Parts: sequence; structure tokens; C-alpha cells
Amino acid sequence: MKTQRRPFFGLFATPGVLVALLFAGAMVMVLQFSVRLQIPGSLDVGGFTFRNFTAMLHPLYARVFLDTLWLCVLTAVFSLVLGYPLAYALVRSRRVAVKSAILIITVTPLFLGEVVRTYSWVVVLGNNGFINSLLLDFQVIAQPLRILFTLTGVTIVLVHVTLPVVTIMLAAAIAHIDTAYEKAAESLGARPVRVFFTVTLPLSGPGIVAGLATAFAWTFSAFATPQLIGGGKVNMISNLVYQLGFGNFNFPFAASLSVAGLALTFASIAVLRLALRPLEKVGP
Amino acid sequence: MSSIPVDAETKVGAAPDLAAAARAQDLAVRLDGVTKRFGNTVALNDAWLQVRRGEFLTLLGPSGCGKTTMLNLVAGFLFPDNGEVFIDGALVTDVPTYEREIGIVFQNYALFPHMTVASNVGYGLKARGVAQREIAERVTEILAMMKLAGLEDRKPGQLSGGQQQRVALARALVIRPKVLLLDEPFSALDKNLRSAMQIEVKEIQRKLGVTTIFVTHDQSEALSLSDRIAVVSEGKIRQIGTPQEIYRRPANRFIASFIGEVSVLRARLERIEKSEAVVQVGAASITVPAGPLAGQSPGITVDLFVRPEQLCLASGDVALEGQVATTVYQGDHVDLYIDAPAAASTRILMRLPSHDRVPGAGATIGLAIGGHDATAFPAVES
Ligand SMILES: Nc1ncnc2c1ncn2[C@@H]1O[C@H](COP(=O)(O)OP(=O)(O)OP(=O)(O)O)[C@@H](O)[C@H]1O
Ligand SMILES: [Mg+2]
Repeated sequence: MKTQRRPFFGLFATPGVLVALLFAGAMVMVLQFSVRLQIPGSLDVGGFTFRNFTAMLHPLYARVFLDTLWLCVLTAVFSLVLGYPLAYALVRSRRVAVKSAILIITVTPLFLGEVVRTYSWVVVLGNNGFINSLLLDFQVIAQPLRILFTLTGVTIVLVHVTLPVVTIMLAAAIAHIDTAYEKAAESLGARPVRVFFTVTLPLSGPGIVAGLATAFAWTFSAFATPQLIGGGKVNMISNLVYQLGFGNFNFPFAASLSVAGLALTFASIAVLRLALRPLEKVGP
Repeated sequence: MSSIPVDAETKVGAAPDLAAAARAQDLAVRLDGVTKRFGNTVALNDAWLQVRRGEFLTLLGPSGCGKTTMLNLVAGFLFPDNGEVFIDGALVTDVPTYEREIGIVFQNYALFPHMTVASNVGYGLKARGVAQREIAERVTEILAMMKLAGLEDRKPGQLSGGQQQRVALARALVIRPKVLLLDEPFSALDKNLRSAMQIEVKEIQRKLGVTTIFVTHDQSEALSLSDRIAVVSEGKIRQIGTPQEIYRRPANRFIASFIGEVSVLRARLERIEKSEAVVQVGAASITVPAGPLAGQSPGITVDLFVRPEQLCLASGDVALEGQVATTVYQGDHVDLYIDAPAAASTRILMRLPSHDRVPGAGATIGLAIGGHDATAFPAVES
């Protein structure tokens, strides 16, 4: 019966299933590495242990977990705050020029490779970079600002990475709001600001939740940005994994960090969704 | 349609005099020569409209004639390219919507989905800074009036279509608007609910005495609800009058054929006597209003517009002879479609009570025109 209704289902699904199997296999490998002993000086692994997970509680590593979470929160919030006005203008502006400008500004970063984009930021944020030269030339500051290799610098670049996607998700949500709601509010005597805060913003709820969750999850797995902009001073979980796996060749510990990171992502998103549930329920 | 004469009603606004100025106090809404273009489309072309205080006025016209545009101009969602808009005697052409004190019910109701019924209805009062206690009182009062008591805490998604409509109406009315605007509010309802809501809306409108502008392209809805109907076509108001006037004394061919069902017969103008004209159709001669034939000389061919219920079976000096093509049983009446070679329209529609003896298909019958409600217009060359 099923094959009759969807005759090509098996054929089309096969590549997907193969890829999924491959990923599942890799995941199983990582999982089993995470509960093995490291044999110093060898890439082989030893017997079963939970030591890798208890070792993570060391303040040095716990700190990286907290920093990662904090960076995710900052990035998600700033992407939302910057992305919402952009998305609103993108959807509601009547001027084609405005729409195109916003679309170009928000979408271009998606087409730049991560490394190229990150290196351009090094040029912009460095001590002799664009921003500092400008501020020094106009004598706004006497000493160059330290942005590169700081949490601020990493946050700026992470926001640049997530902003396009968040903006587009918000724009989709805003475009789905029937303007009749806003017109109805206005006809009832609400001024534009009230209309925005009582009608438009609450009705964007589902888009806001989706945007926050995406920015959060995406930032969690960021690698190139903290690696290059953080310069070893700001580390996220992926940098730690890289350092341990390919610097120290401690594969079991790297694997357990990955597993813990993954679990933390799932947990954070679950908490986020739960906290934002009232927002998500909104909608026609 | 360029030959359509501008009727007397619409000219009143065009040349305001002292009497008109005095009457202006009774006007809830006035459009003075408004024109609205969208690119190359002229949605409204020098439209004049006067809505009296407390009346139920319907804008009726075919799709795309500019009804919604007119409503949007009154609401302030659009601004005219030319002309002025007045509400309650005050010039509001450039006043934003939120200062116009209007109530609107949208076609899809546009109830705020994230608010309860009570918050929806109280929204306008809250925006006006009315005290919390008074809001609660007025909301309770209007909900009771709209038979919505007990639904205060529901969300719009948990209401039936009819309930949603009543909430939308309550929300618009609770602010005591200067004018209530309804844009095809019943089109989303099924037929039974629609007629129930029509009666309800009409009752509430009369009880509150709120000036109402109602938009529809459904002519039977317009005829049954309105105090007056404004027939709109191609961005202009073609005739304003009571439903009876519009139905029985259409100002031009367009209105005669747009409102109600009509068949066109060929006739000859005999003479014009003051307000009446006599036309000869077949072996019968009947009187029609002289207005549409003003300035025509006797002997010319005219088109006679007759309603299905004005035709009756006859023998002797009949207006027309024809052959019954089909009969359609409608319960309380029967529709007869008649082929008559002498008529201008290919098929004549007549309506007989179903308890009468109805001739069957193929029968040759004679028709007479009863009453005084037929209207004649100069024939158009084809
Ligand atoms: N925002 C707009 N942009 C461009 N053209 C428009 C716009 N709004 C209306 N028009 C045009 O103006 C004319 C009148 O439109 P309007 O919506 O007033 O018609 P309507 O009488 O309400 O029709 P309907 O019964 O189908 O709702 C139409 O030709 C329509 O295509
Ligand atoms: Mg319309």
C-alpha cells in the first residue's frame, strides 16, 4: 500500500538513510571514545572509565562551558535586538531600495566563507585596525581599544554570523502577521508605538523563539570565530575539543567534551523553549 | 458606460449651498470629490458621498469598483489624491486613523489572537486611557448585549465564526465610534449563519443608532439591510437612494441590470407627459418614469427593463409572445425562462407563485406587464 502511494519513496530516501547511518556511526564512535581511558603517547584507547566526565568539572574546563553559554546568550540576544528592526523594515518598507539594501547587507555574510569573514574582522577590530585607526584619527581615544582577543570582539563577530539567519527568520514571522491586526488596533485608537508593543511584537513571538533558539544552537558550535578572534584568550567548547584532540591527542577527553557539549545544547534549547512557551503559543 | 448621466443626488455635494451647509450638521460622513489612484488605476474618480447621522448606508457595486478604497479613506488607512473627507462635520483628510474615532469590522474579523475576548473588546478603551473599572463595566455590558456573556476568558481561536463576528462587532462598538465601517463582514459565514447575523447586526445598529457604512457586492444583502444604498461603479457613485428607489427607479441601465434580476424588452416611445412617459410594447402600452427618457423624441426605440415578478400571463393585447424554454422550481415560486424573438435580451425571466398553474416547457404564452415599476432607457446602438 505504502509503496503504491509514494512510488519513489524508497529510491529518494536511500541516500538520506546512508548519510544518516554514517552520522549515527560517527556518533557511536564518539560516544564510546568518551568513556575510554587515554593511553599517554598512543592514539589507541584503554578500558572503560567515567574519569573524562569527572575531569570536566575542573574549574579550568567548567569555565569554558560557562563562557560558551554566556557567549551563546549574548549572541542570541544581540542578534534579536539588531535583527528585529532590520526584519521589520525589510518586510514593511514600501521602498524597494530600502528592502534591497537590507537584504544585501544581511545576506552577504552567508556567502562569505567562515575563515575569510573572520579574517576581515581581524582587520577591522585589530589594534591597528579600521575601527581603532578611525577613533585615533578623530582623537576620540588616546590608546587603541582592545577588541580583538576579548569577549566583546568574539561576541561582535558571532553576532555577525547569526544575524542574517535570525533576521530572515524574523522577517518570515513578521511577514505572516496580517496587517489587519495592526489596522484594527489603530482604528481602536492605539498610536503606532502602542500598536507595535501590544500587537506586532507579541504576534512575532514564534519567530522570536525560533530566531533565539537557532542563534543559540549555532553559536554553541562556533569554532573559527573564537579560535581566530578569541586568539586563545576566549575559548569555547569546540576550541577546547580541538586543543585536546589535536594538540594533546587526548581523543577520549575530547570526545567526552563533545558529548557534554551536545547534551548541554539540547538542555539549553529545551529550557529556552520552555521559558518562551507563552510567546510561541501566540499566533492566528 | 460614458453615457451614464450623473444623477441629481450626487450633484448636491458638488455645488454646496446654504441649505446644504445647514444640513451638514446631520452628516456623519462626507466625501467631497475624492479621487484615489494606484499607479495607473483610478480606484475612485471624483466620488461624492454624504452619510446621514444614524443611518445604515450600503456601498454596493461590482468587484474592483472602489468600495474598499472608499472605506479605507474614511478609516484613514489611505489618503486621497484629491478631495476632502469629513467625519461629524470635521475635516479629517489628513487625520491619522487612531484619532478618527471609528469602528471597523474586517472581513476576517482580525481579532487579536493572543488576547482573550475581554482584552480584545477592552483594547480600544485601554488605548483611550479609560479607568480599569469602567473598562470592565463597559466590556461586560457590551458582551451581554452581544450574547457573549461567559466567553470573556476565551481566546478568539476557541470561538465559532458567529461568535468571532460578534466579538469583532463588540470591540468596534464599545468605543462608541462616530461611524461603524463594515467591509463584507458576512462573506466568511455560511448561509444560515449569515442571515442570522444580518438580522442581529441590523437590530444592534438600530438600537445604538450608530452611523454605519456597509460594503457588499451582494445586492440582496444590500436591499434587505440598508436605509440607503449607494451604487458604485468604476470609482464613482452612480445613484444613492432607499432600496425601493434603487430597485424600482434605477437611474441608468447599469443599475437596472446590476440590482435584482431584469429582462430587457424592445418598446417604442409614444409620448412624454411631465414625469411619466408612455411606451408601446407589443400590443400593450404602459407608463414608465420620464426621467431616463428626458429629451428623447416620440417614435424612437427604447429598452424596457422589467423585473421577473412584474410579468404575468395574459391573452389578448399582450406585450410579448414567447415559448417557455425551461421552468425551475424554487419552492415558493417557479422561475420560467422564456424565448421571445421580439425581446432585446435573449431570454426573458418571469416568476410565478408555485401554487399557480404553471405552463410547461414548450408552451407558447402571452405576457403582460403589471404595475408601474418597469423602467425604460434609450436603446443603445449595437
Ligand atoms: N493597494 C493597491 N494597489 C494597487 N491597486 C489597488 C490597491 N487597492 C485597490 N486597488 C485597485 O483599485 C480598484 C478598486 O479596488 P477596491 O479594493 O476598492 O475594490 P472593491 O470595490 O472593494 O472590490 P471587491 O468587491 O473585490 O472587494 C481595483 O481596480 C483595485 O485593483
Ligand atoms: Mg473590497
